[in-house]
Amino acid sequence: MCLSTGRDLTEQVRPPRSVFVNFPMGNAFGAPFDIDMQMAVLRAVLACAVTSRVAGTLVDLPLAWPRLFAFEPGKSRM
Amino acid sequence: MSAHATEPIRYVDGLAKHYGSMGHPPYQWTINHDAPWTPLTRPLKKCRLTMLTSGGISLCSMPAFDPMARNDHRLDAIPLASGAGDFQIHDSYYDHRDADQDINCQFPIDRLRELEAAGEIGSLAPRFWSGFMGRIYNRSKVLTETGPAFAEELKKDGVDLLIAVPA
Repeated sequence: MCLSTGRDLTEQVRPPRSVFVNFPMGNAFGAPFDIDMQMAVLRAVLACAVTSRVAGTLVDLPLAWPRLFAFEPGKSRM
Repeated sequence: MSAHATEPIRYVDGLAKHYGSMGHPPYQWTINHDAPWTPLTRPLKKCRLTMLTSGGISLCSMPAFDPMARNDHRLDAIPLASGAGDFQIHDSYYDHRDADQDINCQFPIDRLRELEAAGEIGSLAPRFWSGFMGRIYNRSKVLTETGPAFAEELKKDGVDLLIAVPA
């Protein structure tokens, strides 16, 4: 079971079961200390594990990150 | 490589453009046309779970991951009882400032323990996992050596379901 923040990458790799959440990489389960959101994402991942019947299933979570975000390759984040 | 919050970021195109501008040849991404399948044969309330992160997360008592690592197949076993404040993150590939504050937004060990305590899942395995950090170019080693070795460790712990969280 894979929880992905990179939809195109996951489509290419085709894990057996995946959930895509359109959150920034590094925030797959949401914001820090947002227990409700973290639990909601986790439960959605587990639900996908239970309900998937086809190899390569990719489920899009209907959640939106509250702010615009970007990925800047090469920008150091040590 | 920005994206509207409702439009998924196109990492493949963006990274190709970024590294192409530096003179690197196009990266040969993994493209699989099918996927393996192992049915979940018991209800979640009877399953044993664990979780893997590839986000450069290690216990503070362990050496840090190399944030600029290439082909690092290191895999740490993380004891189930580890505290949320016991971790460090060293990975230059993504913004982990939020996860530095609360590991649960990338590696939700507290949430999993809560689900176990509530009986929503059967049990957690004695070990969580962190490794296969980004930028592994020698993928055949994952397929033939380190991946199968990891699978054996999961079998030892009686794991029914692995949650993999790449970063």
